[in-house]
Amino acid sequence: MTTPVVNAADTIAHRIAATIDPLFALIDTWRDELEARLARTAEPSAAEFDPVVAALVRPALDDSSALITGAGFVAAPGFLPDAPWHLAWWLSGTNTFRAAADGGVRRLDAESDPDAEQFRDYTTLEWWRIPARTGTRHLTGPYVDYLCTDDYTVTITTGVMVDGEMAGVVGTDAYVARLEQELLPVLRESGHPCTLVNASGRIVASTDSRHATGALLRLDGLASVLAPLHEHQGQASAGVLPGGQFVVPCGDTTLALVFATT
Amino acid sequence: MPQATSRSDATRAVVFSPLEGAGRAELVEQRLTDAIVAGVLRDGERLPSESELAKSLGVAVVTAREALVALRDKGLVLTRRGRDGGSFVTHDRDAAMRMTDARVRALSRIELRDLSLHYAAIAGMAAEVAADRASDDDLASLVEVDARADLGSAGGARRAMSRFQLEIAAVSQSPRLVHEELRLQAESGPLLWLCLREQAYRDRSRQARVEVIEAIRSVDPPRARRATTDHIAAATEWLIDEKSRLESPQQGPEQGRQPAPDAEDRKG
Repeated sequence: MTTPVVNAADTIAHRIAATIDPLFALIDTWRDELEARLARTAEPSAAEFDPVVAALVRPALDDSSALITGAGFVAAPGFLPDAPWHLAWWLSGTNTFRAAADGGVRRLDAESDPDAEQFRDYTTLEWWRIPARTGTRHLTGPYVDYLCTDDYTVTITTGVMVDGEMAGVVGTDAYVARLEQELLPVLRESGHPCTLVNASGRIVASTDSRHATGALLRLDGLASVLAPLHEHQGQASAGVLPGGQFVVPCGDTTLALVFATT
Repeated sequence: MPQATSRSDATRAVVFSPLEGAGRAELVEQRLTDAIVAGVLRDGERLPSESELAKSLGVAVVTAREALVALRDKGLVLTRRGRDGGSFVTHDRDAAMRMTDARVRALSRIELRDLSLHYAAIAGMAAEVAADRASDDDLASLVEVDARADLGSAGGARRAMSRFQLEIAAVSQSPRLVHEELRLQAESGPLLWLCLREQAYRDRSRQARVEVIEAIRSVDPPRARRATTDHIAAATEWLIDEKSRLESPQQGPEQGRQPAPDAEDRKG
């Protein structure tokens, strides 16, 4: 592996991370504020807590240039006594799901009655399951978010802890199409064919038109290089695949850059 | 080339056909009827108000009102006045059966087969793409949906079908296929999966899921598609036979029916 190629790949990976990192930082600050607030609240209720969440996420959703299209807090089942299953989630004006006539920020109307046909136990979904298991923030997707916005989405979530228990997750959504607009120019700058994948090897964006976003990148050895990202176990390190491609993790976003070297 | 001309005229006509008005109330009525018959909207449940309904369906308030009046005439909805008033779903198992039978009889064989073909096009393609795009996590959640299936009742078996097919569409990573799957489930699901009234077909539905899961596990897109479309074709054959039974002069609708005590269980 020649040094210029390694450097080029590292540079691109850093810039990809720099595009995603503000979203991680944003939900980290929301988590800190919600944890501080909950620590001061003896008996939290949805009625009291929803306006707090709304005030927290609203400024980011009002910014029409922002990457995000939705944000909020999802409570652990039973954590809020007045709302056993509870999503306090808001959609931005750029979110096309049942857009309001005035194009403003609106609340997601989720089914919270466990007996209803449309009800989904959200604790089985990846954006809940992984932060609950690993205790760390997680990037889910790209996936079709048929529970919330019906669109092709990336969701970033992190656990909100109270007295060592997970009270819920706080998170944000971004459209994959919007992310691609930001990421593809970065990928193209390297001058090498390169593809951005998630920890499952699913393509987020690629300079190669044969690699569709959403498809799995099937390359020998890729799964084992990505395994540490998938399991959130320690720092993933760069690796070279038998086919000669160079795989570089993008910071701690759990995304990786697959860089052709020929 | 008269054909080409008429083709382009027809396409233009579709572009400029009215979005509001004629036919819309019927569409709203049919969608709500299907949801009530399928048990998605449950007995005693309060429907959204006329204006809420109009807003969420994107139709005029008069259109929503017209549809509600038609539902009331069919005896599927009851309107109460006063402070706790509104429109409420009223239907029981017998009413649901009668409605479904009426719809099977009202639609021609050509329409039923076309409905089935349209659904097979969507579900088959979703399965084909899903077989190529499923991660190990996706596969695990498909197995989970199948494991949770309640094959003891027609309602349980149909819910399992809906959940599984929706998950397949999601695994295909296509928002459009997911939209279309949801739309067709609402439109044709109650008819297409009528065969699940019979235990043999519920067992067949599990076999179909297992076959699709195996095809996805071995990254075999044609096999995943085939397993899906074969299953839909078998359900359609049952439906066409059922239509013949309902239409048979010797066996009226009441005698001709298979006993199905659990046809529409009410469990949510």
